[in-house]
Amino acid sequence: MAIDTIHQPGKNYDSAASLQRLSWNAFAKISFRIFFIYFFIQVVPLDWKFYRDIFHINFASLQFADIFNIAHYSPWFFSGGQTYADWGIIFLLSITGAFIWTIAGNKKLKEYNLLYYWLRVLVRYRLAIAVIAYGFIKLFPIQAPYPSLSNLNTNYGDFTRWKLFSLSLGIVPGYETFLGAVEIATGLLLLYRKTASVGAFIVIIFTGNVFMSNLAYEGGEQVYSLYLITLALFVLTFDVQRLADLLVFQKPAAPVHFKPHYQTKARFYTKITLKTVFILFFVLLYGWQTGAAFYSGTGRFPQEPGLKGTTGIYNVAAFRINNDSIGYSATDPNRWQDVVFEKWNTISIRSNRPVVIDSNNVENFDDHSPGRAYELQGSAARHYYTYVVDTVTHTLLLKNKNRHYGEETLLLHYRKAGDSSIVLTGINERKDSIFVVLDKLNKKYLLEEVAQTGRQKPIKL
Amino acid sequence: MSVVTTPHISSNGKVAPSERPAIAEKSAELKKWKSWQRLLFRIAFIFFISISIPNSPEWYKIVFNIDWTNLHYRDLYDIARFGSGINFFGNSIFGNALLGYANWITTLLLSIASGLVWTLIAKRRKTERNEYNILYYWLRVIVRYRAGIGIIGFGFTKLLPVQMPYPSLGLLNTNLGDFTAQKIYWLSIGIVPWYQVFAGVVEVTAGTLLFFRRTTTLGAILLFGALGDIVYVNFSYDGGVHVYSSYFVLLAAFLLIDDLPRIYRLLVQEKYTVAVHIYPVFKSKWQQFARAGLKAATVFVFLILLFKLQLVNFLYDPYKQPSVAGLTTLRGNYNVTEFRINNQLVPYSPVDSVRWQEVTFEKWTTLTYKVNRPTLIDLSNGGGDPQKDINRTFELSGTGGGRRVFHYYADTVRNVLYLEDKFKAVPDRRNRAAGVGGDGGTDKNLGVVKNGSLNGREIIARKSKADNWIPAESAAVIGTELDKINKRAASTRRVREFAEPQKNEKRNRMVFKYETRDGSHIILTGVNENSDSLYIILDRADRKYALAESGLQAGKY
Repeated sequence: MAIDTIHQPGKNYDSAASLQRLSWNAFAKISFRIFFIYFFIQVVPLDWKFYRDIFHINFASLQFADIFNIAHYSPWFFSGGQTYADWGIIFLLSITGAFIWTIAGNKKLKEYNLLYYWLRVLVRYRLAIAVIAYGFIKLFPIQAPYPSLSNLNTNYGDFTRWKLFSLSLGIVPGYETFLGAVEIATGLLLLYRKTASVGAFIVIIFTGNVFMSNLAYEGGEQVYSLYLITLALFVLTFDVQRLADLLVFQKPAAPVHFKPHYQTKARFYTKITLKTVFILFFVLLYGWQTGAAFYSGTGRFPQEPGLKGTTGIYNVAAFRINNDSIGYSATDPNRWQDVVFEKWNTISIRSNRPVVIDSNNVENFDDHSPGRAYELQGSAARHYYTYVVDTVTHTLLLKNKNRHYGEETLLLHYRKAGDSSIVLTGINERKDSIFVVLDKLNKKYLLEEVAQTGRQKPIKL
Repeated sequence: MSVVTTPHISSNGKVAPSERPAIAEKSAELKKWKSWQRLLFRIAFIFFISISIPNSPEWYKIVFNIDWTNLHYRDLYDIARFGSGINFFGNSIFGNALLGYANWITTLLLSIASGLVWTLIAKRRKTERNEYNILYYWLRVIVRYRAGIGIIGFGFTKLLPVQMPYPSLGLLNTNLGDFTAQKIYWLSIGIVPWYQVFAGVVEVTAGTLLFFRRTTTLGAILLFGALGDIVYVNFSYDGGVHVYSSYFVLLAAFLLIDDLPRIYRLLVQEKYTVAVHIYPVFKSKWQQFARAGLKAATVFVFLILLFKLQLVNFLYDPYKQPSVAGLTTLRGNYNVTEFRINNQLVPYSPVDSVRWQEVTFEKWTTLTYKVNRPTLIDLSNGGGDPQKDINRTFELSGTGGGRRVFHYYADTVRNVLYLEDKFKAVPDRRNRAAGVGGDGGTDKNLGVVKNGSLNGREIIARKSKADNWIPAESAAVIGTELDKINKRAASTRRVREFAEPQKNEKRNRMVFKYETRDGSHIILTGVNENSDSLYIILDRADRKYALAESGLQAGKY
């Protein structure tokens, strides 16, 4: 492989925009060595844990979530994902490495144009994988699903900020799709040398906003989003001088003078093949799997259907505990206020019994039912139960889904009384016997009514 | 005035010799435009001038009447925000408003027609110019300043976060499904004021960058990206501001036309790229002073003065929240422990259609309660510029769930609350200066709702009591609302609005006597809007929210 310059040097060429100098000064060389090691460690999977996770993937039935997790790589040394401390360690390693490199390296080398080129290739592909991975789970709105019935029947103040962010995005799948399309397009721009800087610029704006959202909504992807921004800044740096010359300083701007030249056909075809495989895996296969997951209804809610014909919200018309009747109460911690039967096998009960919030604020998609906890994460006021139906004995075995209440089970016999009533009898989580009459509410949601009729027509609700 | 083109090809010698012919060629191109370029320019000129100047007489009237000695932030906001485009033929095409974009199309069609006529006349009279470089320069100046001032006016209400207020107790106690999508979006920003500040910084920065030639492209890119997102948000959440946000996207796109091909040439074609800019040269002193003076005035009025006014608004009079503080002892969430109507006890029930379920006293002069009976919903965005607390309706707009929201005046000597329903079926017009494309429920704000149940007649027909419903001795204790905010927030605008006669003020009213020692236990006795006598016992509920409250909230209460 050799260097191919577009412009022949030495012909009175003195544009300040020329970044690809023939000879780099000492400062440029030393900084390059530091950055090279830094970004190399940040983007190339050297972390053994990455291979451990790959080893656990069942490639025979590869899920979108598996690819998503591969795409979510960033090295970490301590526990539970990357922190800014890891950046510090990597930076110290880079300085040490650059020091050794400077002493022991080839002192005759005048520049690192070729190495710079390939480092930029690594970084932009790494960045492309990340934004495409996030793009597809928005294009097919899996990341933030439409709120569940229980979510719609929870007070605004009973959600955490992170959950409200997710719910607010979830009510507008079309907007989520738009955001996903932008991200995917950005990722594709990064795959081509000539458009990479445009892609990197969009990442800085788009992911910059994601980073600010993570700060504001106490999301869990703060470090990761800033990590992606640093990669984008690195990619953009290559062109930033010429873009500033053109757009801000209104000076003549010199184009790139360096690109790799593949001397043998074999090398050229290797490149084409690698790129094709990359696109097949991270764009086509991943996109296909994400779409398939979306259309088959797998996402962040459980998949097992609930008790047939019960979906809805119910008023708790009568409530007895150990044969003591308790009237409607907004304050009694034992008295149920309303009950939601989801389409799937989840029941949620609103009462004044406090909830220790099951909080999760990162995207976690390999969450297999019945553990799928998105519906209750970041939410108070309701207790969520997954249940198993025995249609022979007409019993429901309820298990609290919140990991703070993992031991709680209720065994309830159910009887349908008429079209819209259900009578539950059995024992609750404290082994008290309970008797509950549920009346289905014909609840209309302003959110959905207005979506149908628009905001110009008066609505009475 | 003469013309100078940059780069200074001969003076700085930074251009490679091989590129010089390219520049010379480019310069020659600038000396004579192709005929289609000239035609396109004429059309664009008329179009962009039309959409950059206000089109409603009301705007001129309002702006002309601004009292510059005693300003309100909204005075400057009104200057920055106006309806534009050619509207002699109304704002619809064949009766269709085309989602509000009809005006753009009408304006474009008329611009095309005028552009053709212009071309024809120029050709006939043989006065056709070779190029419009300088006129194009000035067109860009107008568009830059229009977009810059407009987005700054918008951005400051976010930079000092008042556009999306932090949710009141009543809103926090409402189920997610009982809001409109628009409301959910506004609230989702309202809960994170620092993020709102960030969004405001982005908008104000974009606008500021447009004031300067060299930073125009950066500003336009930022504006295009930020407002492009907002257009999509408005369509998705039915936010109602899609036309106004698209307007900025259009202006930004116009400002990017020159540089996009250059970026393509530099990065994708990988060619040496020279941007030739043609600027007028101001030779005489008065020209130089006029330019510097106008620019300085714009920066002073829309960056410094507006910031100061907006800060005052944020601190003392946030425009979407009532600004008068509520009674301190009564604030908080309450359970309705006992409820008697006409001496009849009604036990607590979430399904009863009369019985109150819960009550909130807000930081400001508002009481809300929840009852399971359908009611008309205020579907506006709850914005605009009302000065009276009763007309500031963010706490009820887009919100269902059976909540009733009442404004109160408190006679603290006799312990009486005079309550008025904040819901108004036909609200006052908002964003009058903006004309079309106001914020949400525009048709309703213009009083053109045609619906049997809401035609205004019924409302007027509703008999209310005599309008002096507050006895003189109580009124004396209550004082005038006008003076109840911090003196620094006083403005002629506020004075004028309070002096205006009330329109259409047929509201539900309640009068309650309240008894309490420290606010933890309150007894309300009085009459509701149907003259039922009520006896209500409230006990404070110590409600803990999962939502972490922000320290950055507007207003002084």
